[in-house]
Amino acid sequence: MLIQFFIPSKLSSSVYNEITNWAQLIYAFALIVGVFGLVKYHLGRVSRKSDGWIYNLVTVVSLFLMAFLGFAFGRKDGGAFMWIFNYFQAPMQASVFSLLAFFVASAAYRGFQARNTEAVLLLLSAVFIMFGIASVGNSIPPFAEIANWILMNPSMTARRGIFIGVGLGTIAVSLRVILGVERTYLGKE
Amino acid sequence: MGFWQRARYIDRRIIFLLMLLGVGLPLLTNIGLPVRVTRDVGNVYDYIEGLNPGDVILISYDHDTGTLPEMIPMSDAILRHAFSRNLHLVGMALRAEGTAIGRQNFRRIGAEYGREEGKDFVFLGFRPEITAAILGLGTSIERVFPKDDRDIPISEIELMNTVRNYGDIALVISISDDDTPVYWVNYANARFKAKVVPAVTAVMATTFFPFIDSGQIRGMIAGLKGAAEYEKLIKIPGRAGRGMDAQSIAHMVMIGFIIMGNIAYFMSRKGK
Repeated sequence: MLIQFFIPSKLSSSVYNEITNWAQLIYAFALIVGVFGLVKYHLGRVSRKSDGWIYNLVTVVSLFLMAFLGFAFGRKDGGAFMWIFNYFQAPMQASVFSLLAFFVASAAYRGFQARNTEAVLLLLSAVFIMFGIASVGNSIPPFAEIANWILMNPSMTARRGIFIGVGLGTIAVSLRVILGVERTYLGKE
Repeated sequence: MGFWQRARYIDRRIIFLLMLLGVGLPLLTNIGLPVRVTRDVGNVYDYIEGLNPGDVILISYDHDTGTLPEMIPMSDAILRHAFSRNLHLVGMALRAEGTAIGRQNFRRIGAEYGREEGKDFVFLGFRPEITAAILGLGTSIERVFPKDDRDIPISEIELMNTVRNYGDIALVISISDDDTPVYWVNYANARFKAKVVPAVTAVMATTFFPFIDSGQIRGMIAGLKGAAEYEKLIKIPGRAGRGMDAQSIAHMVMIGFIIMGNIAYFMSRKGK
């Protein structure tokens, strides 16, 4: 992949295309291995009647039901597969995600307290961002400007730092692997 | 235990109830709080507005069903804008669940504007392994997606006869609830110079500010607020506007909780 980028040629391009094809194939097979592991784990808990085994059974039954419906009747709009997707899976997942608002509110009341300087900074940032983004605060220029300043300066600086750190770390690890210094992925010390 | 001490340890069900009212009442009534269009959303609108009829936009549904209430209004607004401008759309998904979500959205909004699948829009389906898929599209879309989501070979689809790789695509929009647009920036933009726009959940917005600043993305639509701004720009009210009312009131309730929590904290400490 690296050679293809710096020395483009017909040969390196075809190798590059083959590698990207293989990457997708390997990933598809990894999904099969993942499904096998998932089924094995959950069926094991069902057979041992572990705590909450009924939920493990629901997981396995749901998995096979959706697979059966998809393979047997297709994924066409209005079919059984899409009906379960639209009226079970989507509302259930969205509901679980929506619960966050309630738990965050409870946590904000109990835990978001000005115990020290760092907590005060965090608290003020949160209040200004929330107020500045909400329609009411967003219409009041000072709040909108302060929220925007926090997002575009301290927040973006921290995010840039993380990106640069991750980038340098990736290069360092890649070099260690290429030069044979890093061998832990082979199971060696 | 004094009043403030009891207030600090208030029954969490009261907090849940107040939050429920804060979210629920605005959804039942139509408050219509003002929405101010920000520069990042305006840039996306202006860019699409500047495209010529027949230009192609690639929209990738890179999210799951958990974030549907935030992502669907965003997707609806973009699709309505694109279809109203006679642009051609190519859809795909880098998350398995995004396939069903994207396909249904394309057909639903396409039907609103009388657009024909295969001629005006096409949905290609799902591909695993983000990096390989994004890189592969740069060489040949047909190699990554030999058939579309209906199992029709790409070579037999009228729209795809002129769309071979990123060179034939005016804009790539990744509708995502995680950092998948970073991959689009790293591989589609940096490697193939594709123009990329992330349409992401509000919590992911800060990840993409550095890319706006560096000019690697054209703009950004972030969260329900971004969707409400886009609805305002295309002058078609949708679910985001009403959802934004609920979100704004919920934010106010949350700020109220933080202030009350701190008053209770300091007063109970003072009382000790």
